[in-house]
Amino acid sequence: MKIIEVGARRGPLAAMAQLLGAARKPAGPVLELPQVTFVLPRTSLDGAHLAKYRAVCGFTPQQGVPLIYPQLLTFPLMMQFMASSYCPWPAMGTVHLSNRIEQREALHAGDVLRVEMTTGGLFAHDKGQVYTLELRILRADKPVWQATQGLLRVGVKAPAGKAWASSPGGDAALSRQADFAVPADIGRRYGRVSGDMNPIHLSAISARPLGFKRAIAHGMWTKARALAALLPQRPVAAATVAVEFKTPLLLPATASLWVARQQRDTQFEVRDSKGQKPHLRGQLHIGDSSP
Amino acid sequence: MTTIQRVAILGGNRIPFARSNTAYAQASNQQMLTATLQGLVDRFSLHGERLGDVAAGAVMKHSRDFNLVRESVLSTTLSRETPAFDLQQACGTGLEACMVVANKIALGHIDCGIAGGVDTTSDAPIGVNEKMRRILLDAASAKTAGKRLAALSRLRPGMLVTPSLPRNGEPRTGLSMGEHAELMAREWSIAREDQDQLALASHRNFARAYDEGFFTDLMTPFNGISRDNNLRPDLSIEKLRALKPVFDRKVAPGQGTLTAGNSTPLTDGASAVLLASEAWAKARKLPVLAYFSFSEVAAVDFFDRKEGLLMAPAYAVPRLLARAGLTLQDFDYYEIHEAFAAQVLCTLSAWEDKSFCRERLGLAKPLGAIDRSRLNVNGSSLAAGHPFAATGGRIVATLAKLLAQKGAGRGLISICAAGGQGVVAILER
Repeated sequence: MKIIEVGARRGPLAAMAQLLGAARKPAGPVLELPQVTFVLPRTSLDGAHLAKYRAVCGFTPQQGVPLIYPQLLTFPLMMQFMASSYCPWPAMGTVHLSNRIEQREALHAGDVLRVEMTTGGLFAHDKGQVYTLELRILRADKPVWQATQGLLRVGVKAPAGKAWASSPGGDAALSRQADFAVPADIGRRYGRVSGDMNPIHLSAISARPLGFKRAIAHGMWTKARALAALLPQRPVAAATVAVEFKTPLLLPATASLWVARQQRDTQFEVRDSKGQKPHLRGQLHIGDSSP
Repeated sequence: MTTIQRVAILGGNRIPFARSNTAYAQASNQQMLTATLQGLVDRFSLHGERLGDVAAGAVMKHSRDFNLVRESVLSTTLSRETPAFDLQQACGTGLEACMVVANKIALGHIDCGIAGGVDTTSDAPIGVNEKMRRILLDAASAKTAGKRLAALSRLRPGMLVTPSLPRNGEPRTGLSMGEHAELMAREWSIAREDQDQLALASHRNFARAYDEGFFTDLMTPFNGISRDNNLRPDLSIEKLRALKPVFDRKVAPGQGTLTAGNSTPLTDGASAVLLASEAWAKARKLPVLAYFSFSEVAAVDFFDRKEGLLMAPAYAVPRLLARAGLTLQDFDYYEIHEAFAAQVLCTLSAWEDKSFCRERLGLAKPLGAIDRSRLNVNGSSLAAGHPFAATGGRIVATLAKLLAQKGAGRGLISICAAGGQGVVAILER
């Protein structure tokens, strides 16, 4: 396995430019995903940045470091990978399909962390080919957080790999818990905080050439906004949350949160204002064992 | 020496219940109660009869209605010599009125009587601003024109736009009834879905009972409506699931389970029940529907001991059962007032809970589960609506008729009330 060390974070615009530059890659089926690990050996969890993130996503300080926040620390690694020759496809036009996060211990502002990203597997999907990225965060050499990112390359014919299985299952009946506003500028605001300045999130003008009538919300923002409502008003140590992104959330919008709670497990969906079309579907488990 | 005699329930009457500010927006308590009493008088041909007593009440009442029930009686075709009095025990008013009249009959103090209740949240009593009220009282008691003027000069325009409004809340906690019920649902881990299913069952059972004509001889049309306008015969579980929680903001932000669908709405309406001795009924050839046999009231310390505000029926029923020598399973029907679906489910959970029954009720073993197919078989307050004081009369008349249709059996009534109170009774036939 090849290991590549990545330096300090760069400006998001420079990174985006690099991604756009890497757009000229073949779009055909891929038989094998190159095995590579990108590493950010030392970074610290920045309290000031966390405060900005909370403000954009709706978390309260009482919730500590929400388990979805550390994903932002992995973003520079994913960007580097996608821009590199190891990534078989262009970054543009890749759809964020799923995200599963498992946290073992609570993180705190000021923590010094090692962040890793390793390529995962290839899967065949109804709509194309899926590849996964494994994300890991260690504190004092101890793994405290990990995530799996599912990315879909739409339109790949005869994709290689095992059939992709939808993870967040459960057939409990969901009921409407809350509505929340998704403002028109949320893509730009979340983009500034997360570094993900993909044009599909920024404005209708920038999103249109990429096939969207209007800008769409970042999937990870939508997930974060749902978690802000679902997580208790206290820091959570061990927890797992898995989501699958179903349909794009066009901006601006009112979204509705639907849930079914059972002790420490919560099944949830973010739907449109009518409560009909699901934008994302997920499952949250608070505690040690996986859902 | 007095011998105790059986108390017969001969029938009931009510006007259809209407959601607040709909069909009865302009109707007063007195109009609604009068129409209800008159309907009962008409059905049982009591014109000109002097009844032993009429007891009823209203939770939301204008101060001018100090003699609400007697004034209503005077407006009916009952004998003008029929006495009447007002009483009030929040949502327990109607059932408490039945108990009081039943006890008088049981002791032979009267032969017959009417018990009932009425409530309006549309025609609510709005008082003048408290500061303004003091000024007006000072002005009224001033002995000279100068002092009167001095008092009135303290009036400010702002006082007119901040009147004293009645609150749907507990004075001692500042929380609304729904917020208290939300806290109870949290304490007992009552799932949203279970509450919605109970609400759906209430509407379905209530609609079926309408289709079967069950309410035909229990109701008198009023103000242009002939059925309860809260009933949604086409309600579905999907519609209930689509409603947002409404009482969670203060007590359980983002975690609420009580919605407008699984909580009773503010409602206007009135009900009345005709009770008598068997001899009185026989003399008039009026068939007996059921007998009012046991009653019990309980209250909980919801403030210091932090028992759930609406948990008192959970305490009242075991005491009632002990006196009656019955178990919780010895009933053909359970009429548990659905103030909130959560209240019903918390009560049922409490009766099944070992530690609650041992520690709070002092019982060796839990009361156990009930056969849910016997619960509110013809719907209850979630479908009918809940005009506070009128609910007791609706339930007593419904259960008495159910027992009459069955021919023989026993039913339990449980009603929770503000102030941490519970009013429960047994009907038999």
